[in-house]
Amino acid sequence: MPRRGFGLAGTLCNVPLVRSSILRPVSGCFDFAHLTPRCTALACALMCVTVARAHPEIENGLAELNPRIEATPNDAAQYLDRGELYARHADWIQAEANYLRAAELSPRLPGLDRARGALALRIGNPREAGGHFARALALDPRDAETFILRNRARVALGDRAGALADLQHALRLIESPRPELFLERAALIAAARDAVRSLDDGIARIGPVHTLQLRAFQLEESAGLIDAALARLSVIAAQSERKEIWLKRRGDVLMHAGRIAEARAAYGAALAAINSLPAWLRESPDSATLATELARLSGRAS
Amino acid sequence: MKLPQLFVTFALVAGSAVHAATTIVRGPYLQTATPTSMVVRWRTDNTEASVVSYGLERNELTSSAKAEGIGTEHIVQLTGLKPNTKYYYAVGAAPVPPPNPAKKAAEDAPGRAAINSFTTPPPVGPAKPTRVWVLGDPGTKNATQMAVRDVYYKFTGSRATDLWLLLGDNAYPDGTDADYQKAIFEMYPQTLRISPVWSTLGNHDGKSANSITESGVYYDIFTLPKRAEAGGVMSGTEAYYSFDYANIHFVCLDSHDSDRSAGGAMMQWMKADLAATQRDWIIAFFHHPTFTKGTHDSDKDSDSQGRMNDMRAIFLPVLEQAGVDLILTGHSHVYERSWLINGHYGKSDTFNASQHVKQKTNGRSDGEGAYKKPRRRAPHAGEISVVTGSAGHAGSATKPPPLNHPVFYLSLNEAGSSVIDVDGLKLDFVFLNEKGEKRDWFSIVKE
Ligand SMILES: [Fe+2]
Repeated sequence: MPRRGFGLAGTLCNVPLVRSSILRPVSGCFDFAHLTPRCTALACALMCVTVARAHPEIENGLAELNPRIEATPNDAAQYLDRGELYARHADWIQAEANYLRAAELSPRLPGLDRARGALALRIGNPREAGGHFARALALDPRDAETFILRNRARVALGDRAGALADLQHALRLIESPRPELFLERAALIAAARDAVRSLDDGIARIGPVHTLQLRAFQLEESAGLIDAALARLSVIAAQSERKEIWLKRRGDVLMHAGRIAEARAAYGAALAAINSLPAWLRESPDSATLATELARLSGRAS
Repeated sequence: MKLPQLFVTFALVAGSAVHAATTIVRGPYLQTATPTSMVVRWRTDNTEASVVSYGLERNELTSSAKAEGIGTEHIVQLTGLKPNTKYYYAVGAAPVPPPNPAKKAAEDAPGRAAINSFTTPPPVGPAKPTRVWVLGDPGTKNATQMAVRDVYYKFTGSRATDLWLLLGDNAYPDGTDADYQKAIFEMYPQTLRISPVWSTLGNHDGKSANSITESGVYYDIFTLPKRAEAGGVMSGTEAYYSFDYANIHFVCLDSHDSDRSAGGAMMQWMKADLAATQRDWIIAFFHHPTFTKGTHDSDKDSDSQGRMNDMRAIFLPVLEQAGVDLILTGHSHVYERSWLINGHYGKSDTFNASQHVKQKTNGRSDGEGAYKKPRRRAPHAGEISVVTGSAGHAGSATKPPPLNHPVFYLSLNEAGSSVIDVDGLKLDFVFLNEKGEKRDWFSIVKE
């Protein structure tokens, strides 16, 4: 079986949260004497899991999991597996029903609270998610993924300081974090200089990644840190085989700052970069359009 | 047992005795190839040091490179290599002396005694005839996967595979390490040792990989260029990256588990990467197809949780704007190949041939003529979109998929793999089915 805890919880996609009126936080769901409408739905879902599904991948997964669950009906891990299968296919009710069964059988099952929290977050219950994540972290305080997910729950609840703390923690735990995590952290920091500093920390760790440099440049430019922004553009341009776009951007920044002569030089350098391209690239429509614009801008600058 | 085999076995046993019965259980395999460097990886059953001995002659492995520490997963980068040059190499715990010429037969045998070879990529930019093998959704571990493989081996013969692409769902059902062992490492040992492989993440790989922390089996197995080691712009992640080979720029996207939004990091990186390239050809590959009516349906929003929609509506326009020539995908276990198309970003019922087809011919040099594109890089000059997701199995024969998406010139419910040959400003494409039949072919010529 796959390594537990992946799938829904592991996604990096920033898709909008789905809100469901039937899925609200409940407890004691399998106390059948006190069934809420949601519990009824979940209990029914769990009882109906063998019903054929439309999606072949779910069918294949169930074909493997259902017999195992029948053979060992008290193995909580199997319900977690089945819940994650459903979660991967956005079947939230079936996913939750299976998680609840797993929780009944083994409340401290590794990965279960993270999966339940991820599901709660996904369906728009960040507060409930936070509770699951707290329990998951109590069981495994080195679970970077759960810190990242709890940071997102906290963002949804408006707790930016808590979110930032979680993300910092996660970034310390991951040896080589993806750039998206540094971008996510920078977005939590209000002061532009501090946000840039956080991005530079990311650059120091994983290299001058384009997306980090670009975000830092945007922050520097909007904060009026012109020389820093220009230096940043130089780094970005150095990574690109075609420098004209970034040289033009340099000209734009300088022009906006009223540094006309320097802007003209930058536009000229951009034009020279285009002219040094092989003919088949120089003559491409994009390059030709840019060259025309650069000529116009140079004229205006002068 | 034939004599050479007996000799190899003896050599392996003898070598094993010296090294406490350590056996290579995976690889060696080649990663992140650049004109001047190569990553060699392998796995042993016992912990030991990681050393690659290499040289320009089989019997003169005069150079060696090693990784720090000891372990069972061995990752060694060779640097300072010459472009477009054949190197012989052997892996082990210590530098090995060149073997006795009598061991020549050992080249394709696994184990520490084996001497393998690879050819470094040529200098970036100038054209060089390039053969690329493309496998979508191969990892079934079954007879179909083997048949598809063997058909290609026969097809390519002594012609080297310069690189090969895995379009995701490389190892069914769950992309576990054991799945990969059977579906990739025991399926293609020969190709792994001599040709660098590049991969994109599929949904089945995603079951045992964690994109948030970039960990798990997929990320453990592959060493992909997150720092633009092989060209392109630095992505900072192995989930999406690019690389150059001669006059081709390859762009790998993660359609499964990275942010696919227009403002997301993958898109920002891709825009910068495409804007920066000076290669003649741009080939993009990712798992989820932009169009399909095979074992998946790109018209259904719920199919694959909208990933196909995202790749078509969000990424395709940007790829076309940048002048992409070829888009390779899998996920749908069929073969579907488009006309030379542009500008179709909606569902199939919005497809309008007069608007979206740039050249409505079969693209065959021996038929209606190769597709023509301008030499100068022009936005929206048209690309061929290929779903080649049947390297492990095709759709059901008893309940065949509809295969009626109008964007495609040809749709086949057949297992097979694809081959790309780029020679200067000509690109030839072939789809070989599991029976060894050339079931589709086309060419694109830039002029
Ligand atoms: Fe797939």
